[in-house]
Amino acid sequence: MTSGSRREFLKAGGLVLTGLGIAPLFGTRLIASPEPKLIEMRSDALGSRVWFDPIGLYVPPGTTVRWIARENVHTTTAYHPNNDHHSLRIPDGAVPWDSGFLVKPGATFDVTLTVPGVYDYYCVPHEAAGMVGRIVVGTAIGAGARPFDYWVGKPGTDGWRRVPDAARAVFPSVERILAERAVHPIGVKK
Amino acid sequence: MKRLALATLTTALGVGMVFTVPDTAAAQRESPLPAASRMHPDSSTAPLQEPPGGKYKKVSTLVPLPDFIPGLGTLYVDPATLPAGPFLAYDHQGHLVSSIYMIPLKDMNAQKAFTDLKIGRAPADHVDIVYNAGHPGVAEPHYHIVVWYVSAQRAAQLAK
Repeated sequence: MTSGSRREFLKAGGLVLTGLGIAPLFGTRLIASPEPKLIEMRSDALGSRVWFDPIGLYVPPGTTVRWIARENVHTTTAYHPNNDHHSLRIPDGAVPWDSGFLVKPGATFDVTLTVPGVYDYYCVPHEAAGMVGRIVVGTAIGAGARPFDYWVGKPGTDGWRRVPDAARAVFPSVERILAERAVHPIGVKK
Repeated sequence: MKRLALATLTTALGVGMVFTVPDTAAAQRESPLPAASRMHPDSSTAPLQEPPGGKYKKVSTLVPLPDFIPGLGTLYVDPATLPAGPFLAYDHQGHLVSSIYMIPLKDMNAQKAFTDLKIGRAPADHVDIVYNAGHPGVAEPHYHIVVWYVSAQRAAQLAK
């Protein structure tokens, strides 16, 4: 996946990449789907504070989630060893995503989440500052539902990177996401 | 390519603080523009005019950042000086407006010293010290120490 202002589509746990040019061939009625669930990628003017909004989201399986960059430069990147050796925090069988850098305000990136479970993701340049998010798809199961260090000492995890302390501190709990459906960052009202 | 450039910068960051201080005076001498065209409206000195030349590269060609960063300007840096810099910032007219030093919090906490950092020109008008959560090239919380060569009023015009 590359950066840019174009929309990019990825189905996590299912089909790969829906081409914009292909969709008309199948007719809009066949592929009609609800509007994507929107997650904004935000920043204050100085770049001192950055966040996803909502930071926690519940969706049913098959939902398309759309990230949109409002200010600053961001990525949405799944916690997965394929993404720079980060620890696994999406369900087994789900396809990890990495939007690349979304540089221009208004740039979007879409992922359709089909595998039930908890999906944790981060922003590459802002993970250390705590810019992370969590999505619960259907049921709160999978690696993302486990404690952050569940993998420590287990075979095959050499080189995995731990979730930074600043990020651990801001993930909303699964219980809160299930209760509220959309959790907004502290100080952000909707 | 951008990923490669970023990886290169990240490697430079990982190597640590062993950097070469850029010769900004030499960059000034190498400016292809005649002195008269480099006169700054705020000053009688002859500041750098974009591009600075020498080892300086436009930051947007090294990492995924816009050419013009709101609030700062168009940035140039000698990659060998990362992460501290100086980053040289230019306004929409190509005039040097500030030198920026980017100091990671972890280096501050480790009481690391940064000495003999060069400046773009003199005299300075004022200094801003601003926390930044990170961005491509310096993907960790750090402080921007901005030595402005223009007034705060003119600096504010860089917001867009």
